Amino acid sequence: MSGTVDIEVRNLDFYYNGDIHALRAISLPIYRNKVTALIGPSGCGKTTLLRCFNRMHDLYPRHRYGGEIVFQGNNVLTEGFDLINLRSRIGMVFQKPTPFPMTIAENISYGLRLKGITKKSELVERIERALKHSVLWEEVKDKLDSGAFELSGGQQQRLCIARALAVEPEVLLFDEPTSALDPISTAKIEELVVNLKKDVTIIIVTHNMQQAARVSDMTGFMYLGELIEFGTTEKIFTNPDKKQTDDYITGRFG
Amino acid sequence: MNLEKKRKLESFAALALSGLAAAVGLFWLIYILFDVLLNGIGALKVSLFLNDPAPAGVEGGGLRNAFVGQLMITFAATLIGVPVGVLGGTFLAEYARGKKIARVISVLSDIMVSVPSIVVGAFVYAVLVRPLHHFSGWAGAFALSIIMIPVVLRTTEDMLSLVPWTLREAAFALGAPYYKVIIQVVYRGAATGILTGVLLSIARVAGETAPLLFTSFNNNFHSTNMNGPMASLTVTIFQYAMGPYKSWHTQAWGASFVITLFILALTIMGRMIIKWRYKR
Repeated sequence: MSGTVDIEVRNLDFYYNGDIHALRAISLPIYRNKVTALIGPSGCGKTTLLRCFNRMHDLYPRHRYGGEIVFQGNNVLTEGFDLINLRSRIGMVFQKPTPFPMTIAENISYGLRLKGITKKSELVERIERALKHSVLWEEVKDKLDSGAFELSGGQQQRLCIARALAVEPEVLLFDEPTSALDPISTAKIEELVVNLKKDVTIIIVTHNMQQAARVSDMTGFMYLGELIEFGTTEKIFTNPDKKQTDDYITGRFG
Repeated sequence: MNLEKKRKLESFAALALSGLAAAVGLFWLIYILFDVLLNGIGALKVSLFLNDPAPAGVEGGGLRNAFVGQLMITFAATLIGVPVGVLGGTFLAEYARGKKIARVISVLSDIMVSVPSIVVGAFVYAVLVRPLHHFSGWAGAFALSIIMIPVVLRTTEDMLSLVPWTLREAAFALGAPYYKVIIQVVYRGAATGILTGVLLSIARVAGETAPLLFTSFNNNFHSTNMNGPMASLTVTIFQYAMGPYKSWHTQAWGASFVITLFILALTIMGRMIIKWRYKR
């Protein structure tokens, strides 16, 4: 696999609650404009790894990082790194849809206002662009001022993707984005993920191996806090080097 | 006696006892409400709201001073109590979440809720009335706000805790600083709940007499000076009901009716907001 490396994870260790060693010496490249999938059984650390990229762990006490995550030349794990800036460049979509208790339009403009964009005309334009980007525009264009909770689960998740896209991040993290959705909504989100990679670098955590195979270019298999194997999705799913990977993707455990 | 019969008998006894207890409670409640309604509605005249009290023993006059005083004191208490309560609750639910100090303050404010209100009155008398050598509307408002604060604080804390963490994480993930997450996202999620708590806390203090007796005292004349003694409905009811004149009694009934209605309206409003919230 060739391409520009957007993020380089080097020897990453992560501890939470003081001394629980959740990630062990993880190293992997994240390629620009590719979809990288993280797979593995529950508790393997894939979500923990994902949340290192935008340092969500910092919201909770007694955590500790080791190693480096180099994002465009800077180690984001540095003490005092500007997290507000980091999070506006690395967006995140969560497992369950998390619309804010506001209107559809306000949900999108929230991140824009945080960035200091307050001009009405620009907000309107960027709300429309973001909603078109997440393929929700046709469904909501006539009810931008109604509450976000009126949307279906799948629509809410696409709203959250639009909200994350509106601030024009360079990287988007997806944490099992379809685990709470029905198959049709799931298909829509998967299609969206594939289409989005031309604009953003994507890292997606999923416990659904078929999903990883369908949407990703690169796949990392994790087990017990370690990255067992990393490679092109094609290789991981057809001819993995490690026996553990083979056992997992063929459904022998996990 | 077989087991089934015994169980049925026990069940019947429990049902009868609890039903009886409910009936006793309801009887007095309805009795009081009807009494206030029957006696109060006749006393409702426009002059009750527009005139100041007539000299003792003289027919006529109204309770304008008490209505105005009550509104001003309650309003001022709300202005003091709500911000302190909401900010305190925010501290407990957000900044001190999970810390020991949050639990300690929570428990203390639960105790505060059940402190007899006359104790609060005596306390404010000691710190705001005695040293200044005069009763004042501000002292009354302060006393009422002390009663409001723990109510608002605990409601705010509970309502903020109900807002799911994932919502905060989503806002953080967009690059929001904590104070903006709280003000723009968490408060919006908890707004109706907090508003309900505020309304119920106003209802709670609107009927208080004891703390005002020691603080804003009373005033037979119309006054909007919060630095001086002020009339309030509750203290006036207390004074008039004890007084020797028939016209005083009638006016006390009228005032009782109005204040009961006011509290009832606030409570119903609070309940309706809760219902409306859960429907969504």
